[in-house]
Amino acid sequence: MKLKSLFVTLIALLCAAQVQAAKIRVVTTLTDLADFTRQVGGDHVEVFSLATGIEDTHGVPMKPSFVPKLNRADLVMNVGFGCEHAFLPALLEASKNPRIQDGHPGYVDCSVGITPMEVPLSTDHSQGDVHPYGNPHYMLDPVLAKTAVQNIYTALVATAPQYEADFRASRDAYLAKLDAKITEWQQLAAPLKGVKFVSYHEHWCYFASWLGMDYIGTIELKPGIDPTPRHITDLIAEMKAEHVPIVVREPQFPEKVPALIAKETGATLVKLPIMPGGVPNTGTYIEEMDYIVHTLVAAAQK
Amino acid sequence: MEQLKQQLRQMQENLEKTQNEQRQQIEALTKKLDELTSQRQTASATAPAAAVTTNQLNELNEKVNQVVEAQKKTLPSEFNPAIGFVGETVFSYRSKGSDQTGSDRPGGFDVWQRSLEMVASASVDPFAKGYAVINASADSASSEATLAVEEAALQTTSLPGNLELKAGRFFGEFGRLAYIHDHELPFVNRPLVLDEYIGGESQSDGLQLNWLAPVPHYVSATVGVGDHFGGDSPNPDHPGTFRAFDGLNFWGRLSSYWDLTPNWQLESGISGLINPKTEDRGGALLQPNGVSTLTEKERRLAGFDLKFSYVPLQNNQFRSFNWGTEVLYSDNRYLSDPDGIPSNGDEFRENVGSLGMYSYANYKWSRQWSAGFLFDYVQSTQNHSDVTMDYSPFITFALSHWNQLRLQYTHTSHNAASGLKPDDAIYLQWAWIIGAHSHGWQQR
Repeated sequence: MKLKSLFVTLIALLCAAQVQAAKIRVVTTLTDLADFTRQVGGDHVEVFSLATGIEDTHGVPMKPSFVPKLNRADLVMNVGFGCEHAFLPALLEASKNPRIQDGHPGYVDCSVGITPMEVPLSTDHSQGDVHPYGNPHYMLDPVLAKTAVQNIYTALVATAPQYEADFRASRDAYLAKLDAKITEWQQLAAPLKGVKFVSYHEHWCYFASWLGMDYIGTIELKPGIDPTPRHITDLIAEMKAEHVPIVVREPQFPEKVPALIAKETGATLVKLPIMPGGVPNTGTYIEEMDYIVHTLVAAAQK
Repeated sequence: MEQLKQQLRQMQENLEKTQNEQRQQIEALTKKLDELTSQRQTASATAPAAAVTTNQLNELNEKVNQVVEAQKKTLPSEFNPAIGFVGETVFSYRSKGSDQTGSDRPGGFDVWQRSLEMVASASVDPFAKGYAVINASADSASSEATLAVEEAALQTTSLPGNLELKAGRFFGEFGRLAYIHDHELPFVNRPLVLDEYIGGESQSDGLQLNWLAPVPHYVSATVGVGDHFGGDSPNPDHPGTFRAFDGLNFWGRLSSYWDLTPNWQLESGISGLINPKTEDRGGALLQPNGVSTLTEKERRLAGFDLKFSYVPLQNNQFRSFNWGTEVLYSDNRYLSDPDGIPSNGDEFRENVGSLGMYSYANYKWSRQWSAGFLFDYVQSTQNHSDVTMDYSPFITFALSHWNQLRLQYTHTSHNAASGLKPDDAIYLQWAWIIGAHSHGWQQR
């Protein structure tokens, strides 16, 4: 009798392990993609994000501890447009996982279907660390983020077609929720239309386009290049002339220069996350966008 | 039945894909339409609205045609590998001449175009990638540039079992910095112990197999075999007329890594190299007494390295700290000839065990500025009583990711056994990159 119960327990444990093993192992580069994957994949996915949310999207540290995760992954979800060029290619090579290499089904470029903005006419380094395929920060426009959700859905279905119905139901529910939030954000952000702002790095062109804001420029001289004193002086003069009321600082950049510019121009300095987890209480994409829209509206009304 | 189900799934998938694409197109067109409508409403009364739209469409068509034409022009170069160049110039002043320092560079003022490297890489096919590093460096005496193939290797990309094979000429994986190119080092000069025990960069012509352990913790193991090991002696170890298996170099490395906290990391490794029958790598080495010689017969080298890093998740482009240390033990076997006259019966074999190490710390406090200190200690591989030590503070200013200046002061002291004089040197290194460059795994 004891043997029988032991046998049953063992079988149950094995079955549980089997269920665990059947999960799709997904590694995402950034936290917004992790959130979308969890929303669509539900219990069928095991998600690990390389970034925790507070990193620079182009500067996630290449930790060797990421390598075993990537080695075992079925899918790697990335933003695309060269956003992760500083860390993902080397990590993928080190992972020795042929399934997730660029060009293979496990490599999921979530930018597919999105028309990029700011595609450079030249990739010469005199223009800084430009992205040859265009600005990769489309995730800050939730309408475009829906395309990323769809791409994630397509990749999950291709990997585990047996869960297609579940994925579809989750995707539809999430997109409906996102659509409702988009309407809410657009109504809430009506006062932001035409409002001018500057930011540290050029993260915000898609966001500005979505809400009709006027994106004047960046504190960085060029992408990835620190501002020179002359650039700061010119930017302050331009902001004063254009009556720019908002300076955006992304959390991974130092506060000193943005604070100085805000002080000199009388603009309001706001710290805005560029992915979920960038500031406290923004663990999901919707929470992040909620935070961004509310913070900007409050700043514009000052 | 199963086939039908599969077809149905495929059809559903295609339908959804098409729906998604069409939805995106509709959204894009709606957005464009909104913009055009808004512009029409605000257009001046004198300009007909339809004319504005037609002009804009023509303009749009022109732009699209330009892009298409531009793409046609770039297509012939699509199969070219990614190519980049790295240049490095070292300006220096040394207080003593090369006769007193043992250096291959002169004392006093010196300008040295240390290297101009061309790096090219591309996929060979779905199973491998190839890369080459061609280096032109100026000769210390004549200033003439000599061109050399530093690396040219094939690397597999899809071997099963977490394996990766590299073949050709490459920098073998030994220790922490031996396989890093000069311009990628965190200081100006290669640590003395790597020059003395390895022979500069760990260049080899051979094969190397790397294996990633299939466990949740990062463990990497590498083994390699080649006909020489060390960039300072790029010719194969003396081949004679026939090289036996034990005339080859064999090396290996085992490394691991720990996340101490999200911001603090520890990486460590052990390495080993053996050439059981070096014959006379480097020939008969004349000893400081000017008479006796040593001829290397067996080469053995072991190393331990660790790197302790602070890499804050949030702002690692602006702040970081590294402390790296590597200890090497050389245990070479020589044929000693006290009177320097070969084969007269007085030769005997002896082992020389020597220890060397370097340790450095580097702190970065802004995107552009970092500073650190390097300490070197090395006993000669032929005489462990012959000791050299270096003390080198350095400061780095990176104008951008591709343009970097480094100022370093080095005080070198030798003990009496070396016969060399202590000296002081100041170096200014200017390194730059143009063209394609990648953020490699080894340079992390």
